Amino acid sequence: MTLSVAEEKRILLDILEIKKDVLKMIFQAQSGHPGGSLSCANIIYLLYNNIMKINREDPQWNKRDIFILSKGHAAPALYAVLSKLGFIKREKLFTLRQFGSDLQGHPVKNPKLGIEISTGSLGMGLSIGVGCALAAKLDNNDRMIYVLLGDGELNEGSIWEAVMAGNHYKLDNLIAIIDRNGIQNDGSTEEIMALEPLAEKWKAFGWEVIETDGSNLREIIQGFERCKNILGRPKVIISYLIKGAEVSFMQHTQKYHGRAPNEEEFTLALKELENIEKNIKRGIIYND
Amino acid sequence: MIKADLRDTFGEFLVKLGKKNYNVVVLDSDLSYSTRTNKFAKKFPSRFFNMGIAEQNTLGTALGFAISGKIPIVSGFSIFTTGRAWEFIRFACHDNLNVKIITTHSGFVGGDGSTHNALEDLSLMSSLPNLIILIPTDNIELIKMLEFTFDTKNPFYIRLPRGYFPKIHDEDYEFLIGQPDILKDGDDICLIGTGYGTLLALESTPDIEKELKISIKIINLSSVKPINNKTLIKEIKKTSGVVTIEEHNIYCGFGSILARIISENYPMPMKFIGINESFGQSGNREKLLNFYGLNKNKITEQIRNLLLSRKR
Ligand SMILES: Cc1ncc(C[n+]2csc(CCOP(=O)(O)OP(=O)(O)O)c2C)c(N)n1
Repeated sequence: MTLSVAEEKRILLDILEIKKDVLKMIFQAQSGHPGGSLSCANIIYLLYNNIMKINREDPQWNKRDIFILSKGHAAPALYAVLSKLGFIKREKLFTLRQFGSDLQGHPVKNPKLGIEISTGSLGMGLSIGVGCALAAKLDNNDRMIYVLLGDGELNEGSIWEAVMAGNHYKLDNLIAIIDRNGIQNDGSTEEIMALEPLAEKWKAFGWEVIETDGSNLREIIQGFERCKNILGRPKVIISYLIKGAEVSFMQHTQKYHGRAPNEEEFTLALKELENIEKNIKRGIIYND
Repeated sequence: MIKADLRDTFGEFLVKLGKKNYNVVVLDSDLSYSTRTNKFAKKFPSRFFNMGIAEQNTLGTALGFAISGKIPIVSGFSIFTTGRAWEFIRFACHDNLNVKIITTHSGFVGGDGSTHNALEDLSLMSSLPNLIILIPTDNIELIKMLEFTFDTKNPFYIRLPRGYFPKIHDEDYEFLIGQPDILKDGDDICLIGTGYGTLLALESTPDIEKELKISIKIINLSSVKPINNKTLIKEIKKTSGVVTIEEHNIYCGFGSILARIISENYPMPMKFIGINESFGQSGNREKLLNFYGLNKNKITEQIRNLLLSRKR
């Protein structure tokens, strides 16, 4: 798939809209996980917008591809994308984490809103993905299953049990995406529980490994397209993303992993995203 | 009113303990800032082990430390530690190992929501032989409990909340394992609380006594396992009904444990206040407590029901 310049511009602007919504939601709630919601917002958007087979009229269409947000604390990013698709009303976004809201701090299964399953306790999503992939094969349903994992989340042993099962059952309809932003709750992944050499680990477990620069839109899309053509084994995309995304003071730090921005920080963060927005509108694109 | 976050008390206690006892090691699963084990980590980096987001391996490692003569303290969020690593905890209890599991974020956690609430951990823990289960109401009680915990070679589970809680005990309070702590005497109805349940009982009682024109006895039972049946029965005997209060599911929770003891030893009418068949949701703590029935009106209603059943 080749993107026209206009299409690329629209996507970049959409993603920025989503990131701004994420910040607003978390700011309004005064709790949540900005760093890891911002990092993977582009991946979730591209999956739904460019890669996954979905029906925008019907989130429960039975041929749809399945997305599982294993790193459930990035819920605001998922909600914002689902609202862009029209599955969640935009006003609802700003009820995040409030009493009575469908939009809890972590996703709660809600087929009408497009939320496939509850997540938030880390380490469960890939096993669930294995189940969906096996079921799809039994049903001759040619859907793909996408599971977004945190890199810190890979500390969980259950992830590696699922990695083995994915290879054992040759689940070529299963695609894991790792948000390789390098930071978990207490610090960097390498200082808390070293993951490297990460690509080699997945390769040794029998998975096709694709590494992408997560801030390069074309590379992300190409990575997913390549996945579709590889048969006979499960695939993982290690996506090098940035915790905090474009918000300079949230980058590469655990400080905003589980902490909402205050008023001053929020204003500053929004301003940074708006500046990028202006540049894109002027035709300055940072991609490539 | 003086309020304290029990997590801070816990974190500071660990530092003091670490200075005195070189066998103490602390393990956390990537939540050391939230649980406050980071204070120990900073002071004693060589005896602190961040095991990453891997609750099972964290517990397993603690078992290894325990059979090697160390005193491992495992911390994390209540639901992940007790839920994900349950069978490892079962083995710690099976072999009666000196493992101290002290977790935070029990009960309602606030915005994180239903996936993070710990409303089932007592059910999971209370069936385990050898395990001592403690729930403090304030920081004074917590310190006394922790002193007892590290004087006793046994597996422990201590369940801490998140947030600020008022002080209800005096500095000279004596924590006695298994013993009911009588906070107020009364003749008609006995409220037995644990953790926040006790605070709610204390807070609600003056109004309820006025409204229903009765006198209420309040017992704080911070020792959920073991419980000294004899003293408990002696304390409740003179009243005509018991209401239990817990920030936990009422199925197989604190109230259920008391129901067994009371029905077996001195049957009397009981009512149970706690979360009923729900995982809860996101939201502000006051709203959640109120919505799920941990409030004064609910206690009043249950006492009324008890008084009516007595007349029948
Ligand atoms: C089983 C479990 N243990 C602990 C947590 C608490 N927790 C939430 S997010 C997080 C860190 C996640 O790091 P990572 O997977 O790298 O996420 P990202 O950096 O992409 O946000 C932790 C420890 C949890 N949600 N589930």
